[in-house]
Amino acid sequence: MAGTPGDLDPLIHTQARLRIMTTLTALPDGSRLTFPRLQALLDATAGNLSTHLRKLEDAGYVETIKGHQGRVPSTQVGATRAGRSAFENYMTQLRALLTPPQDLTSPDDGTAATTAPATTTPAQEPR
Amino acid sequence: MTADPTRSTGRTTPAPDGPTLPDDALADDEPLDLAQVAALVAAQQDRVRAATDVDGRVLYGAWGVAWVIGFLAMWLAAVDDPPVQMPQIAAGLIFFGLLVSAGVVTAVHIARRTAGVRGTSATQGEMYGWAWMLSFTGVGVLAFALGRLDASPEVVSTVMTVTSSLIVGALYMVGGAVWGDRAGFRLGAWISSVTVVAAVVGQPHMLLVMAFAGGGGMLLGAAAEHVQRRRREVPPTQGDTPTVAR
Repeated sequence: MAGTPGDLDPLIHTQARLRIMTTLTALPDGSRLTFPRLQALLDATAGNLSTHLRKLEDAGYVETIKGHQGRVPSTQVGATRAGRSAFENYMTQLRALLTPPQDLTSPDDGTAATTAPATTTPAQEPR
Repeated sequence: MTADPTRSTGRTTPAPDGPTLPDDALADDEPLDLAQVAALVAAQQDRVRAATDVDGRVLYGAWGVAWVIGFLAMWLAAVDDPPVQMPQIAAGLIFFGLLVSAGVVTAVHIARRTAGVRGTSATQGEMYGWAWMLSFTGVGVLAFALGRLDASPEVVSTVMTVTSSLIVGALYMVGGAVWGDRAGFRLGAWISSVTVVAAVVGQPHMLLVMAFAGGGGMLLGAAAEHVQRRRREVPPTQGDTPTVAR
């Protein structure tokens, strides 16, 4: 999925979608929330929440189940397997980025980016 | 994945062919500071857990108080020379009122915490709830059946005490097994054991055993849960980034 360690999943890395994914993954696997309860736990407006849920659903991170509670239609939202592992990856990368480097002399992202191409280009460069 | 590979980490790199304006007009698509992200996740996880978690302290606490005071009142009414005079009818009303109150506290607490939660665990909880409902409907009907047979108050009291306590112990143990809750299982095993002892002791002092060992055990269960929760709340020494629940 993500290539470099600093490449945080852009689908999760916004405040709204991060909070949605945090909320849904805080529940046990296989659990879902009704739309109103999710909305209350996020202090979100319905429209705003729907927009972000659609993006997460398109990515396969979130699953929306439309059903009926008696005659009233009810929507339930839950994190999918893919969504849970994407969130776990995101958190793993976040922890890695927040952990101070053990060896201060080791190259950081900036130098790694400049030295990396040097290892691949010489073969083509002689001419 | 529909994730646009050209946009990474929120350090807004506009897609070459895309519009230069942010594609989402929402303020929350601003790049996020990483330390802020960790705090955000931790705060939201805490909020979700606090809002959806069924708190054993509330349930064990309510039933513990009901048992300690209720069984004590029943014992006072049953012994020949009580330290405090307690009419039989008053003891019965006190116990009944306390049990109904504990039932209301339990129902309201669980309904609030699990509102809007659906799926596997919710279904498990619902089935478990039905086990309690039907078992205690049976206990209530049993009292009625015994009354119709003109059973003595001692017989009714003994049967009610032993059957209801055995059901509580058994269902706590089952709940512990279902949710992998060792503390809950231990409490159930304790209550079942206390009930066995109470049955051997017999009337009227079985009521005292149930008050202190049974009700007291529940209050200890509530206290143990409190300690366990406090220990979990203590921030880990290594880093303060939240962990993902599995």
